[in-house]
Amino acid sequence: MAATASALSLPVSRREKGEEERQLVQRAQSGEEAAFEELIRRHQQRVFGLVSGILRRREDVEDVVQQVFLKVFVSLKRFDQRAAFSTWLYKISVNECWDYLRKKKVRPLVYEADLSEEQVSRLDGVVSADQPAASSSDRAEARDLLERMMEKLPAQDRELLVLKEVEGFSVQELAEILDLNVNTVKVRLFRARARLMDVYRRRLHSKPEQQAEGKEG
Amino acid sequence: MSMNSENRNAENKYVACPQYEAALEDQLQGTLRGPEASMLAEHLVTCAGCRAALEDAAVSARLLAIAEPSADPGAGFSRIVMARIRQELVSSESKSIWLPVVSVAWRFAASAAFVLVLLLSFDLGRHSQFVSDQSVIAENRLPEIVPERPSLPTNRDDVLLMMADTSHGKQ
Repeated sequence: MAATASALSLPVSRREKGEEERQLVQRAQSGEEAAFEELIRRHQQRVFGLVSGILRRREDVEDVVQQVFLKVFVSLKRFDQRAAFSTWLYKISVNECWDYLRKKKVRPLVYEADLSEEQVSRLDGVVSADQPAASSSDRAEARDLLERMMEKLPAQDRELLVLKEVEGFSVQELAEILDLNVNTVKVRLFRARARLMDVYRRRLHSKPEQQAEGKEG
Repeated sequence: MSMNSENRNAENKYVACPQYEAALEDQLQGTLRGPEASMLAEHLVTCAGCRAALEDAAVSARLLAIAEPSADPGAGFSRIVMARIRQELVSSESKSIWLPVVSVAWRFAASAAFVLVLLLSFDLGRHSQFVSDQSVIAENRLPEIVPERPSLPTNRDDVLLMMADTSHGKQ
């Protein structure tokens, strides 16, 4: 097992890597548990990223990821390797997330509290291209504020933006995972960005006016 | 190619031309090359909507760069998953031991129910047959149980005949 792990860490070309993974899948299909464990190790982080990008609830993510790998193990013998193992795995992950959300009837997280003026200026500072690098505490707060804004977006927009911009999935990968045309993914991504910016502007620029109106009233 | 310089929506906000959205996303990612890139560059000179949308998209990318990708679950995670898989396999195997017994039991129950239905329908059939037989017998016996009322004599000869019958009966 250790020998396999060290061999896997060697820099190999993409094609060789693909062939190596095919062999690993074949070994796992023939019942070799160590091979399957290696497949889990290789893909666990991306599956975690994918699932947390869709569920957005850290407490549920680990359980769903375990369930994904269990399903993959059970149906591995039926996988014919026509598609890449990763694509098949990610599709199962997406379906498992949607099943989970449907069964649990999970309501999206809603943050009722609005942003304070101070938070607004900090977020503006972090996002602004000409501002110097923000402190780590400012960045942590900005992350929290971003999370709140993301919750205001439709689930489909949020998923695409997180998977693409945060978890690092390519447009091609997203098209394969979500069974969409590559151009459709691009258009949806671009529109999701516009909607995120709408939320951002409403939060940033309408807040001081609302407060002023409130004071006058 | 759209030459719309005032591409605004109902809220008077600049919006991108729909036919350029995919190319604008490529431009943002830095993957737009060749004639498509020059076509978009030409379009951007004249389209304020697409220019504004591209600037917005760039801000959104900076905004999303704040977020951190999910952390690696760690080396122990694969072991946890494998342990769960083994546990599930054991429980499914123990279920599969009882599966034939459960299946036989269900078959037996179904057969018993079928036989019961057959017996009940047979019994009901017999009962209805018996009831109809009884009514037929009752109809046939009716004249024996209830004697026919003698008809009244219509003339003198009938009266004499009746008297002769009665006297025969007494003897």
